[in-house]
Amino acid sequence: MLNRVNEKVWNFFASVDLAVALFIIISVGAAIGTVIPQSIEPEPVIKFFSKFMSISSAHKTYEIISLFDLNNVYHSWWFTFLLFMFALNLIVCSIDRLPALIKSFKVQPQPYPVQVLDKMPIKKTIKIKDDRILEKIKELFKNKGFSTYFFETQEGFQLQAKKWTKTRLAVYLTHLSILIILAGALIGTFFGFRGSMNIVEGTGLNFAISDEGKTIPLGFEVRCDKFEVEYYENSGIPKAYKSYIRIIENGKPVKENTVIEVNHPFTYNGITFYQASYGFQPTEHAEFRFTYFDKTGKEHNIKAHFEEKFRIPETSVTASVIDFSPALGIDEEGRLFNMSSEMINPAVLVSFEENGKKTQQWILKKIPETWQTPYGKLKFNELWGAQFTGLQVRRDPGVPLIYIGSILMCVGLFICLFLRPVNYFAVVKKNEITFYAPTSKGMVEKQIDEMINKLEGDER
Amino acid sequence: MSYQIISIAGLFYIIAMPIYIVYLLTKNKKVGFAATGMLSTGALIHIYGFIQRFKEMYVINHSIMRSIPVTNLYESLVFFVLCMVLGYLFIEWKYKNRSFGVFVSIVAGITIGLTDVLGITKEVQPLVPALKSNWLLAHVTLSFIAYAAFGISFITGLLHVIMETKNKKSFKYIFSTSILGFMLFMFLSIIFDVVSASNPKSVKIFHSTLGNSSIVISIFSWIALIAMIFIFWKFSDFLIKILKSLKITPEFLEDVTYKGIAFGFPIFTIGGLVFGAIWADQAWGRYWGWDPKETWSLITWFVYAFYLHAKFIRGWKGTKISMIAVIGFIVTIFTYLGVNLFLSGLHSYGSM
Repeated sequence: MLNRVNEKVWNFFASVDLAVALFIIISVGAAIGTVIPQSIEPEPVIKFFSKFMSISSAHKTYEIISLFDLNNVYHSWWFTFLLFMFALNLIVCSIDRLPALIKSFKVQPQPYPVQVLDKMPIKKTIKIKDDRILEKIKELFKNKGFSTYFFETQEGFQLQAKKWTKTRLAVYLTHLSILIILAGALIGTFFGFRGSMNIVEGTGLNFAISDEGKTIPLGFEVRCDKFEVEYYENSGIPKAYKSYIRIIENGKPVKENTVIEVNHPFTYNGITFYQASYGFQPTEHAEFRFTYFDKTGKEHNIKAHFEEKFRIPETSVTASVIDFSPALGIDEEGRLFNMSSEMINPAVLVSFEENGKKTQQWILKKIPETWQTPYGKLKFNELWGAQFTGLQVRRDPGVPLIYIGSILMCVGLFICLFLRPVNYFAVVKKNEITFYAPTSKGMVEKQIDEMINKLEGDER
Repeated sequence: MSYQIISIAGLFYIIAMPIYIVYLLTKNKKVGFAATGMLSTGALIHIYGFIQRFKEMYVINHSIMRSIPVTNLYESLVFFVLCMVLGYLFIEWKYKNRSFGVFVSIVAGITIGLTDVLGITKEVQPLVPALKSNWLLAHVTLSFIAYAAFGISFITGLLHVIMETKNKKSFKYIFSTSILGFMLFMFLSIIFDVVSASNPKSVKIFHSTLGNSSIVISIFSWIALIAMIFIFWKFSDFLIKILKSLKITPEFLEDVTYKGIAFGFPIFTIGGLVFGAIWADQAWGRYWGWDPKETWSLITWFVYAFYLHAKFIRGWKGTKISMIAVIGFIVTIFTYLGVNLFLSGLHSYGSM
């Protein structure tokens, strides 16, 4: 009784029907997650449904949705359960079928009854007279990389030629690779973390904020010395953005001048940092940086805070920054305005004072003509400390498994689909040979034709 | 400009379609050569346009690896068509069979036409930082080669279902003939949309037909659509007869369907899923994030995995399995276009 139940349960998990059902259910579940907004906060979900129904029914719908975690599909208990079933199905399937397959490799091939051969989709007969025909066919198949087996049957000699029989194992390699990937994902979930940190230029942080909003201490400090965005010429499309990072551990800098760029992450102590975003955030310590070229052509670097007076070197002129624009543009009426909050073309309004006489002038970073002032050439370099760099932070010990699994999956699939087992059968009678093949693949027919041509050619 | 050259290639694809029809009807070998010639010429012009586009990209990006024009929706659609046409020409040459060229030219014409009617930007755009990676080439090109293979298996699968289904009231038969009818209608509609548009930048899909401001034309278009579907439904015997007279067997169609998937599936796995995951891992710090594009790729993968399991383990044969290939490509189209048009996500540079 118990055995029968056991067997039933086992067969249930070993069935392809379950696999196919899981394909469908997981697909439908995953698809739902791409349509319904995935958000733990209720507002986006309610807003989404209020497009199709009244607000009160949208609220009710939200209740149903949150009951089944449809607003958090990919982390819901039922989706996890489905993936777990999928893994179990793969394992049981393999245990169920693999031993029989391996056993079949060891069993000596048996001659096929002629009725079976006759049912095969490909069948070709040629008349031939040659005493050494058996040897010849055998050699033909051998040259093409087949292993051959001979049997004496009532109908004549039966020849079986097989190639790539063991590639049937590749299916299990593919299945194993999925399990490895799932294991890697599991390890990543339990032993890793994901978070983000926004570091203002000139400051540092020693923790990240996880996706769930928790603080994750890193054990070292990440300082952003400099952050820069390059734009494509005459456009607001960013070309590249880079953070210059310093790592400070126990009060000592251990890594300096490290550059993190999009597509070029940086790893320290198993924690990887990715350039993800950036933003404008004016701070107290923000510093306007200028280069002043004096009459002799010598360069002087000048740093000043907002509204802080500085002296133009080797003159009696004092100056201060009284306004700033990250992206200065000129509208149709010639007025200046801010195009964007991104630093596409930063500009400063500098007020100069000489002997009580005040003048002011806009200096634009990217327009050299504006650097000329009545007191010499003053180039505006940057506003340092007014942007933050957004970094993704991650530790995931499961990643190596993901890579191994991915490689195995590719290898497995290629063997599975491009090196399928090939079987030929031939029955040799006194003056005729009949070729059979169990699958109709264009290649198979061609090969048979090729062999027939060769045999006939030899006879002539 | 490269997109003008590509539009000319599209024109050749569209003209190839009626020639293929004439070939199907007359079985005249010369007409057949003309049809293949038209399609091949289109492909050659297309390749030339592709190279021109590459040069235009190179001027901006100064990197050979990053100048392959597959970086936005327009370029990817164009690349998909090129892969599919070349794939079809290869099959035509290998099997010495021009049977489904008409459908390939319809799909190619629709796709090139879509770039007009959806108002997709055709300008050469500089690469945003996220796309500056050598994975771009491997990930995107392999994905589209796989899509093209799925596209071919869709066409042969569809023909196979129509050819082999005896019961004209069965769902799969009505479904397949409806798709054929709709495809033909869309093909014609796009031609009208483009031709009748006053401004080439404001062409909209079905604007000259179903959505015409004149109610008469609109109603007439709906009737035409239903009529086309009805004709395919009612007179498919005629189509089957033609196919049979061209020595197209259901086995051939089933075999090409399988080959398209057997070729496309591993390519899609390695290029679309694995390379995509590796790239996402390096750029965004996660290899899998249930982004809509990722999720729908997985669904696509499941559908074709279903196809392979049904075929090899369950031993499904005939129209049943070709239906999965048809549905698989519909899911593929959604993964490719639908996600960008209807859902938001990280693959937004693939949007319009």
